[in-house]
Amino acid sequence: MADHNDPNAVNSIFSDIDHSPADLYDLFGFPSKDTDGGEKVVIALTFASVPEAGVLDSDLLYRILIAAHPRVVWPEHDEFTLDALGRYFDAVKNKYLGELKTAEIRVTIDPAQKATVKFIDFPGGSFSTVVDIGKVLAIPTPDGHSIQAFIGGRDDAFFNDLTGFFRSINYAPQFYHVPHTMTEARELPIPKTLLELDGNDLFNYDPNNPLLGSGVKQNLPPGPWTWKGDKFKKDADGNYRFVYSGVDAQAGKNVNAIILEIPLSFITRSPAANRVVNTWGESWVRKAAHKVESIPDHPVWLEHPWALLESIRFDDELKQYKLVDTDGQPFADAALSERENNRQLGANNFWLGPHFIKRLAHLGWGFGPSISALGLRTSFDHNNSPVSVLKTYASVVEAFPRVKKTLFQGLRLPDDSWNPKGLDIPLRRPFEIFIPNVCAIDMDTTGTWPYGRRLEDQVATRFLALFLDMEAEFNGKKYHIDLLNDQSLWDQAPIVPKTPPNPLTNDVEFLDHFPYLAEPHPQ
Amino acid sequence: MTDYQKELEGTGKDIAGLRDGMGVRPCDPEKATRLAYRLYHRASLTAQFADFQAAEACIDAGIRQFGPQEDLCLLKVTLDFRFHRLDGVKRDLDMVPALRGRFEGRSILADLDFQEGRYPQARTALEDLIREDRSWDNLARLAYFTFKMGGTEEADRLYVEAEDELTAKEMRSYAWVELQRGVLRLSRGCYEDGLAHYRRAGTAYTGHWHTDEHIAEALAAQGRFDEAILLYRNVMERAPRPELQQTLGELYAFIGRTGEAQLWFEQALAGYLESAGRGDVHYYHHLTDFYADVREDGAEAVKWARMDLALRDNFATEAALAWALYRDRQFDAARDAMDRALSPGVRDARLFAQAAAIERAAGCVGDGARHLRMAEEINPRYRDFHVHR
Repeated sequence: MADHNDPNAVNSIFSDIDHSPADLYDLFGFPSKDTDGGEKVVIALTFASVPEAGVLDSDLLYRILIAAHPRVVWPEHDEFTLDALGRYFDAVKNKYLGELKTAEIRVTIDPAQKATVKFIDFPGGSFSTVVDIGKVLAIPTPDGHSIQAFIGGRDDAFFNDLTGFFRSINYAPQFYHVPHTMTEARELPIPKTLLELDGNDLFNYDPNNPLLGSGVKQNLPPGPWTWKGDKFKKDADGNYRFVYSGVDAQAGKNVNAIILEIPLSFITRSPAANRVVNTWGESWVRKAAHKVESIPDHPVWLEHPWALLESIRFDDELKQYKLVDTDGQPFADAALSERENNRQLGANNFWLGPHFIKRLAHLGWGFGPSISALGLRTSFDHNNSPVSVLKTYASVVEAFPRVKKTLFQGLRLPDDSWNPKGLDIPLRRPFEIFIPNVCAIDMDTTGTWPYGRRLEDQVATRFLALFLDMEAEFNGKKYHIDLLNDQSLWDQAPIVPKTPPNPLTNDVEFLDHFPYLAEPHPQ
Repeated sequence: MTDYQKELEGTGKDIAGLRDGMGVRPCDPEKATRLAYRLYHRASLTAQFADFQAAEACIDAGIRQFGPQEDLCLLKVTLDFRFHRLDGVKRDLDMVPALRGRFEGRSILADLDFQEGRYPQARTALEDLIREDRSWDNLARLAYFTFKMGGTEEADRLYVEAEDELTAKEMRSYAWVELQRGVLRLSRGCYEDGLAHYRRAGTAYTGHWHTDEHIAEALAAQGRFDEAILLYRNVMERAPRPELQQTLGELYAFIGRTGEAQLWFEQALAGYLESAGRGDVHYYHHLTDFYADVREDGAEAVKWARMDLALRDNFATEAALAWALYRDRQFDAARDAMDRALSPGVRDARLFAQAAAIERAAGCVGDGARHLRMAEEINPRYRDFHVHR
């Protein structure tokens, strides 16, 4: 997920909080290359493999929500102002809370490990079916489509240097024993940074304790946990020290997953017009009161492979559960919403717009000077600060000018392969990627992030690229969202280790066919 | 295997695993804290004193080794609170001053306000906490407060809201809240409804002696004495606690089997005195109750009541003193103590009935009649068998 560091109540970041099957990891979504019988979209929701990979918890309910609509173009090309952004947030809110018709796929598991999959409010109607776990299945729909489905254990498709990310934001619980009560001792008040800060003894790499933060923790020294330095750390050769190592923290780990390949014409009656499929995932846990009642499944579901469900009141079912976690965009929670429980809003994160701007500015003061120090150009206005700065904002108005370019710049891709049809598709901009918090799959693209999210996308590094100035050039070529994956950049940079921040590929190869995520690792 | 057995077994495995992994001494505070929490959890399940001792030893060792870590101190506070060591609670909080400002610490401080009779502060603190985070435990705290002040319907509404916050992963907590809802009904003489809640608790989380003990009380209240006795004896095999032994003795006495009652009373008293002899204070109120109602030894009851009151000055300890003074035939002093007990606005059938008896004995017949009416209004069946919770 990109929100593996989310201290949401169920999150497993703290060692004495049990892993929870409600902990959503990632949502992947992209157009399938298999277009036989029409276009299809692949959606994969991954979550903690609890109780184990291939065994799902019968107290959980997972939802994948889907809404297709035409591609929307930012209507105010020449007006990149705070007012315009506010109008955009309002328009999106009205759209999601009003006109947009959202369909959903709801999955529950019974104690015998049979999955009930309900397809609700699709143009062809609603229906449900009961399927086996751990098998690739073709689910026929009432209107004649076939949906591929897999529910069960897989390899964790997320690959990143989690320790490096935590080092960059001075996230103490990764490195130190931090009591749960000490909420102020999580992100310590030290500038965020991509380059180690001179004298930042709490988080700088320690050659005498190389595994600190990678499974090894120390006692948290008494505060104040601040940094008094004024420059980046350099070694005797004049090299900066990268906070990232490029090592895959998720290697060898498993997830449970709900993976679907759905015909676009099942999602929308106008597949030619509705080219963007928005999707997000939610986990819900059964309320205690309803577990006691042990409400039986509707008998018709057990008697038929599928049954029409128009008469069933789904809200009544959902009332028996409690929303725990949501997932749409990678890093929407981890980096921007500060992972607070009460901000687990999923797509409905409209009210977080102002917070998003302030948080992005806070991160910018950390990452922007780091980028500049490497000789690269940043999208963030840090007043030519020679070193990362710890700054928080109470006012959006104050933060906005700093972060304006970061918010509004189009995120260029390294080449045109993302747009195989050569259509006039605008580059996506950060503000429209993260609000609403949905994975917006553009069916005319390959679905690579931010036009969806493909398994092979290195989204952790692409997130950092938000802070690059996309108008600048490196080696005669405009910056793009994969620039930080370019080994030649690091070879030239005054930095050690000379590595892209995150691994370039997953620890195991993805499949070239459904369900695409690799087999789970032996346990 | 019942839910209780499964949880106990799982906790035992966790404890063994943690101990295996850490050798002679915990190597880091996280592991030490986890072990202490698991030991406390086991003790909470069994309610055995030895288990609490093991948890306390682990907490203290952790604090000695790693200093006053917040999570460990919070656990120590919780443990001290459970054993009515309110001075200890304050000392624990002083070890980590920041804890008083934490959400969890503020919940404890609200409990402290309640236990020390600062009712408006307790209510305000709980309402503030709930405004910040509608956690089930604070809703249940406020529900209990409201219940004691006579707001039965509001208390039940809060308990329902607390239940709504609980998930299928917290069935033991859900069962606990169901028991509180049952207690609320029994206190109003609604035995069928109360028993239904107790049964629901038993369905939600199977095999817990704590639930069966409540069911036994409800059965006894309904006059199903043989069933109640059978269940109490079964509970006692699983959780041989002095207060349960006293309850069973009272049940035998209630149905006229005084010989059997005395056997259980002797065991109960031995348990209480052993605890007090160790320096523990949490059975003071049981000793007060025992000497006042079982032995009808007013002087001894007053002794224990005053010791308890010195630790916790609240309506319950004041009322216990009042009743002890009544047994000691100090009727005017008893009346004063009961006035103080009822002054915060407490509405409880048992206390009103005791107030009535005290007032009649003190010559205040009118007040006595009024309080008796109030007792009957709250619970027309207040004379039936019941446990003093």
